[in-house]
Amino acid sequence: MTPSILLLLVLIPLISGIASIFMPKRASLVSLLATTLNLLISIMVFKQGLSYSVPWLGFGIDLSLRLYNFSAFIILSISAFSFLISLYSVVFMSGRHKSNQFFSYFLINIAFATGAILADNFIVMLFFWEGLLLTMFGMISTGTKEAFRTAIKAFIILGIADLCMMVGIALTAHLAGTLTISKINLPIHSLGGVAFILLIIGAISKSGAMPFHSWIPDAATDAPLPFMALVPAAFEKLVGIYFLTRICLDIFILDPKSWASPLLMIIGSITIILAVMMALIQKEYKRLLSYHAISQVGYMILGVGTAMPAGIIGGLFHMINNAMYKSCLFLTGGSVEKSAGTTDLGKLGGIGRKMPVTFACFIITAAAISGVPPFNGFFSKELVYDGALERGVVFYLAALVGSFFTAASFLKLGHAAFLGKISKENENVKEVHAAMLVPMIIIAVACIVFGVYNYLPISVIQSVLGEARLEGHNFWGFPANMTLVALSVIVLIGALLNHLFGVKKFGSGLKAVDHIHYAPGLSQIYAKAEKRFFDPYDIGLKIVGAIARIGWWCDKFIDWIYDNLVVRVTYIFSDGIRFAHTGNYSFYIVWSMVGMIAVLVFLIR
Amino acid sequence: MISLLIFMPFLALLILNIPFKDITKKDAFWAVLALSALQAGISLFPNASFWDSASDVIGNFFKLNLAIDSLSIVLLFCIGTVTFITALVAKHFITDQKRLFNFTSLLLVILAGMNGIVMTRDIFSLYVFIEIAAIASFILIAMNKDIDAIEGAFKYLILSAIATTMMLSSIALILLMVGDTDLSVISYAMKTSERAPIIMAAIGLFICGLFIKGGLVPFHGWLPDAYSSASAPASVLLAGIVTKTVGIYTLMRIMISAFGFDNTVKTILMLVGTVSIVFGALAAIGQADFKRMLAYSSISQVGYIVLGLGCGTGLAIAGAAFHLFNHAMFKSLLFVNSASVELETKTRDMNKMTGFGQKMPVAAFTSAVATLSASGIPPLAGFWSKLIIVMALWAAGHYAYAAIAVLASVITLAYFLSMQRRVFFGKLSGELKDIRETAGGLVLSASILAAITIGAGVFFPFMLNVFILPIANMIGR
Repeated sequence: MTPSILLLLVLIPLISGIASIFMPKRASLVSLLATTLNLLISIMVFKQGLSYSVPWLGFGIDLSLRLYNFSAFIILSISAFSFLISLYSVVFMSGRHKSNQFFSYFLINIAFATGAILADNFIVMLFFWEGLLLTMFGMISTGTKEAFRTAIKAFIILGIADLCMMVGIALTAHLAGTLTISKINLPIHSLGGVAFILLIIGAISKSGAMPFHSWIPDAATDAPLPFMALVPAAFEKLVGIYFLTRICLDIFILDPKSWASPLLMIIGSITIILAVMMALIQKEYKRLLSYHAISQVGYMILGVGTAMPAGIIGGLFHMINNAMYKSCLFLTGGSVEKSAGTTDLGKLGGIGRKMPVTFACFIITAAAISGVPPFNGFFSKELVYDGALERGVVFYLAALVGSFFTAASFLKLGHAAFLGKISKENENVKEVHAAMLVPMIIIAVACIVFGVYNYLPISVIQSVLGEARLEGHNFWGFPANMTLVALSVIVLIGALLNHLFGVKKFGSGLKAVDHIHYAPGLSQIYAKAEKRFFDPYDIGLKIVGAIARIGWWCDKFIDWIYDNLVVRVTYIFSDGIRFAHTGNYSFYIVWSMVGMIAVLVFLIR
Repeated sequence: MISLLIFMPFLALLILNIPFKDITKKDAFWAVLALSALQAGISLFPNASFWDSASDVIGNFFKLNLAIDSLSIVLLFCIGTVTFITALVAKHFITDQKRLFNFTSLLLVILAGMNGIVMTRDIFSLYVFIEIAAIASFILIAMNKDIDAIEGAFKYLILSAIATTMMLSSIALILLMVGDTDLSVISYAMKTSERAPIIMAAIGLFICGLFIKGGLVPFHGWLPDAYSSASAPASVLLAGIVTKTVGIYTLMRIMISAFGFDNTVKTILMLVGTVSIVFGALAAIGQADFKRMLAYSSISQVGYIVLGLGCGTGLAIAGAAFHLFNHAMFKSLLFVNSASVELETKTRDMNKMTGFGQKMPVAAFTSAVATLSASGIPPLAGFWSKLIIVMALWAAGHYAYAAIAVLASVITLAYFLSMQRRVFFGKLSGELKDIRETAGGLVLSASILAAITIGAGVFFPFMLNVFILPIANMIGR
């Protein structure tokens, strides 16, 4: 197969994205067609190694694309998700304001994501990577009226992170002496360490880890839902974690003994715990999911950060699993929104009977994200636990606590939305259109397949690591360490008991976790967090505002010096001089004489 | 045949005053134009055999001690150009044929006098030529015969007389100590002998005399009155070239060729130069009278030249010479424009002017060129000369002087921009709606000077190789 087919993967969505701006009526069909084509091509090229390179800008900047087992795997996932979500959006976005703009950004976003994954040259990758920023901005801003502010927030946060990555790329290229990614292999120390951290900032900010997360919950309520299902749930994880893995495995050599590995694990653990704690208390369907989108990234970063084969495979497996169940969960949220007209958990309840297919999909994917066997989430989490435990009990415990709260919050979500008494407004809720159900069903089934028959994904992921790193181990099948499995099951049962306790105490699924929410000590922290007291973006804005105010005063002062002080002093002198020139020549003679005497005295002295 | 530069104007004057039938009074104007244009033209070829002093039959016959170097050639070019411009302006301003004849005759005298100053190598002849130029200038200033002009001329006359006294005393002292008036002999004596107090007094007196002539602070009292009260063509000539040749060029010549650069003298030059720069700029910023502002600006710009001279290194002096050249061009240009404005509006008060640029585009444009060049904005010529002076000061370790020179440029820009904005920009006011571009001579002269200012800046490498570096090499170090 000719390598230039790789160009098609980028060009098809790009061109159809531009075309769909000019075809407002047909945008959704163009999108469906393009994503189908892309999916077919990615299936064709899967299992192939292709390299495409043409000279572009000079200075070692070639337009080079490379497809090998890892990128082929990611590309296939991207194509599959974009196809499914495109199918879903055809119905979901119909009749919406700016829907052709949305499809246009959607398709261009696919093109850029594909390009960023395929790029084998840092500058080319950066080009696509920064392009993602633009399309993300565009997609968010097609949402509600407040979406524009959120779009700016996301743009600023990711823009700053991308700037760090840009510097990191420059440093890496300087150290390696080449811009071709596949030729770079650097140790992490001194300047290399700085480059590593800068690149990591770019990768984890793209995947939505803390502290670069705070735009995601806002986007969940403001942006159109397919965006949430596609970008924060699937694409950002795939692109961000793909690049993180490349950094840790190829570009740098992540040694378990170096400081970089614990650093990543700490970031991962903190992200798991803090985000899931925030998810627990949310009373809005999509916002709750968005915090999980952040929290789950923690498992991936923790897994990759362990630098152990089990952890890395677990992290990557979790990446693909999360992309599946998280986008499916968002799609169920979209179905609920389409049918019930709201995603506020206080107004929902009891619609499970009216929307049985959506509810079934929700149960499967919620079980998967909570790590219930035999769904896919269970297997990937067990691998991450395995890796984390090898590096330290603390990390394992953090992951386990995260699982507890994940399970608790999904029990609450499912109970509040689908079970319980149905309210009068929701009497007429109906199951959604088949085009929206099909993607959900496909993903839910895939969640079961990837769990039961996990040889399929894990064998692909193992080939990414290579035989040398695996040392003969195989990670598919049922987890080897039964103690860990038992502990996980105990935690799940604990979460169920906790839920039953909460329901009994407060009388409804929505309030099932109120005993944690309003626990002494926690309630104050929660109150402040809900007011965005800890939002790094808002803190940053405050600091920038203070600096701007100081700068403004300095500027005022300098203006005053130039506009008033200098001018006044100049005019005082000027007036004095004018006053001295009376026009009386005898004075002038006296000045000359005094001058002459001074000169003579100075010379003769 | 360099002595021709002195003899031809005198000869022309003589012939014009003999009552031949065929020679009319009008021909004086053409004689000046031809002579000055020839002089400026031939100065552009410094390697022509014309400049060879050995072949100068007339000069050798009269035992005139004449010589030429790179510095003199630059000055001869300026003298030729500005005299040419002055004649054009005079033709336009002075309608009365008899007065025009008198004016142009005096121009011939001044031309001869200034050429003599530039070429002579004898301190007493130098004095004589200075007096020839000075006395002709008094008459030029007073020619308007109104009370202001006569007052201005009188102040100039009185202070010039003091300067003359100083210089004559100095020459007497030098003659007493050295026994000769030839510059090279004086120079040799200065180098070999002890610096006795009496020699220092002689140097001091001569320099002070030239400070008065050149209008440096605090010897400048006559200058604003004389410049502003003279008629337009007279002020172009006076500000553009006469005081520069009589005062500043002579100072440069006497320092380079006779006195040499003593440390105390250098300090005095730099101090006086810096004080003049700052004082002149500060005074200019407060003026409402167009020509008075230009007069104070002259003091400030002359300060730069003296500051460069005082630095004493070859590069600094070359920069000073280049600035002298630039100043002759842009200051004449500004006076020509002030003449245009005065001719149209009958006033010199800038507070009454606004928006003239709409009706006088050439004056507005050329005046912008001149002010920007004076403020040292690249790529105009003034930028390069100031740059050379500042660089030379910095290289010689005079950081404070260099800093002041740069900062004063800001004030220069301030008052010139304020002038430009007040006079040429903005909206045309009702009373002065009928002004128009002054025709012919003034536009032509402004365009010539602006072209030289732009050309010398843009083709700076040519200027550097042909005029500036030879001066720097001549002085050395």
